[in-house]
Amino acid sequence: MKQLLLTREEEKIFDGERGEAAKIAIRLLYSLGELGGASRLIPIKSAHISGVSYKNIGEGGIQFLRKISHKVSVPTSLNPLGFDIEHGGPVTIDEGFHRKQMEIVEIYRKMGIMDSFTCTPYYFYNEPAFGDHISWAESSAIIYVNSLIGARTNRESGPSALASAIIGKTPDHGLHRDEGRRASVVVNVDEPLDYTKLAALGLYLGPKLNKLIPLIKGQKKAKSIDLKALSAALSATSSIPMFHVDGVTPEYQLISDSPEVINVGSSEIEETISKNSSQEEPELIAIGCPHLAPEELEYIAQLVKGKRKVGPDFFLFTSRDVKANARDAVRTIENFGGKVFADTCMVVSPLSNSYAKTGTNSGKASFYLPLKGYGNQKVAFMGIMDLMKWVVA
Amino acid sequence: MGGRLIKGRGLSPGDKTAKAIVCDQFISPLGEISKDGLITSGPCEDSCISDKILVFRGGRGSTVGSYTFLELKNKNIAPSGLIIEEADQMVVTGAIISDIPLVDHVPLDIFLNDDTVTLSGSTGDVSIADVIKKRVATVYLLHKGNLLLLKRSTDMTTYPGQYGGISGYIERGETPEQTGKRETEEECGIKDAMVKAIGKDIYVRYGGLLFEITPMLMVTSKADVKLNHENSEYSWINPKSLGDYQTVPKFKETLMQFIDYL
Repeated sequence: MKQLLLTREEEKIFDGERGEAAKIAIRLLYSLGELGGASRLIPIKSAHISGVSYKNIGEGGIQFLRKISHKVSVPTSLNPLGFDIEHGGPVTIDEGFHRKQMEIVEIYRKMGIMDSFTCTPYYFYNEPAFGDHISWAESSAIIYVNSLIGARTNRESGPSALASAIIGKTPDHGLHRDEGRRASVVVNVDEPLDYTKLAALGLYLGPKLNKLIPLIKGQKKAKSIDLKALSAALSATSSIPMFHVDGVTPEYQLISDSPEVINVGSSEIEETISKNSSQEEPELIAIGCPHLAPEELEYIAQLVKGKRKVGPDFFLFTSRDVKANARDAVRTIENFGGKVFADTCMVVSPLSNSYAKTGTNSGKASFYLPLKGYGNQKVAFMGIMDLMKWVVA
Repeated sequence: MGGRLIKGRGLSPGDKTAKAIVCDQFISPLGEISKDGLITSGPCEDSCISDKILVFRGGRGSTVGSYTFLELKNKNIAPSGLIIEEADQMVVTGAIISDIPLVDHVPLDIFLNDDTVTLSGSTGDVSIADVIKKRVATVYLLHKGNLLLLKRSTDMTTYPGQYGGISGYIERGETPEQTGKRETEEECGIKDAMVKAIGKDIYVRYGGLLFEITPMLMVTSKADVKLNHENSEYSWINPKSLGDYQTVPKFKETLMQFIDYL
């Protein structure tokens, strides 16, 4: 096996000469580098950290964060948490949860991490460029920036991305190298798919491909927003770090010799949607997993402009900066009777405190929300126009 | 109990012995393992993993999943150890920060629920109480492109009446090739068979035995077969028609290792 060689300075960190937190961080990177067959650590331009919601990381997570607390050495953004810090919601939470959650936020703030609280940090906060080596967690963001931007990150976990942020480096293996970015399976799709159908394609392919990088054909008109839905659903149900879309994504020509071929038709897509959807009337329509872009807020604003909401609650999720860049749209949606939350989402907030049935166009949310002891929701998974029928008279 | 049964790759240190729970599924530790240590979906739904050796195919989903192991550890309801076919960063990270031993590169179908499993996350050694390893050579014998298929006698203790290749225990001091040649002569009376390729070892669990099988492809110029008592019938078949026969475990998949020679 190839040995990971540390520089003299890295060895000092490894031996604890730069403190306990940095030692824990570099030792984790070292183990993961050995696992991936890296021969060295390479500098990164940015990091993104998951593991923020108290619902997800619990007491054990807080203790770990305290142990590893250390200033980050590269620009580092942060995932959403259990509620909207400035405005409250989407559901009522008890005082204990609030206190624990803010304790986690404070630990991250002390480390010098941005108050981004979003799973789409590539909008405004932390936008990588083509070819940048970065160390990101958040499965939906990893796959998005690898695939659509051509930045390079392995599928880091919350703790390993944090370790990289502290050290400013990541092991050089996997997605950091051209060989690790090649498609090994071709997926032919027989019709152009919209946002929710691309999400369904992700749910369908995830368990089948497990970790293989696909080249998706037949989607030459796919837009970034719609491929964000594919990113999230595919990575929720697999450990796939990247995909290529023929004629669309920047590295689609990276393909291995003699790839396997899979054909997907509209019947597989429809079946996946119905399999992931209960037929019950939702109490809440939740949109924004992953967090919405300004143009998505503007699109929804057009649909509801001048109307009054009926039926279930209508919640949208995004980041503070996206909200600030789509003020008119947010006002229109609020006038309609909907709510636009920042810092949080339907998956990482304790939604089941207030709701049992949720409608969404997100494949990722349709995967996590029904799980017992986690989301506890009956989920109606459908396209945005079908969701709007519940709330627009 | 003897030494190790099988060697995997040790990825998170520590030695543990506990009962196995075998889950033939990929698991997203966030969501698919509850805060009470229960699996929430798939074939192992509602099974408890606390204080067990969790044997599963691999991790998937959220990059926050590492923290699930830490939270279970914090509540003293973590699994004792993890055995995975192919580990990913998220699960390995979770195991390391939670001090849970982890070994990968071990096939999951050699374990049964409630086996008492011992693993070392440092060396990668894995053993199962009351299970011993037997080394076996299996020969896929070709003659003019046809594959020799033997029907095992009904009085054989393992897999009676099923179809397979030439097979036998590797005796002390023998190489797998030597066993293959010896068995081909004993079971079929064929002396001129030559080894064309040696495949990757496969593992088959049979009660208290774990067969470590070295598959090999051999060719012969003779079509005349003289069976001994171990088999009751033979035929030379087109390898493509193998699907029509009820064969011993993993016989068909293993032939695929030699696809380039067929």
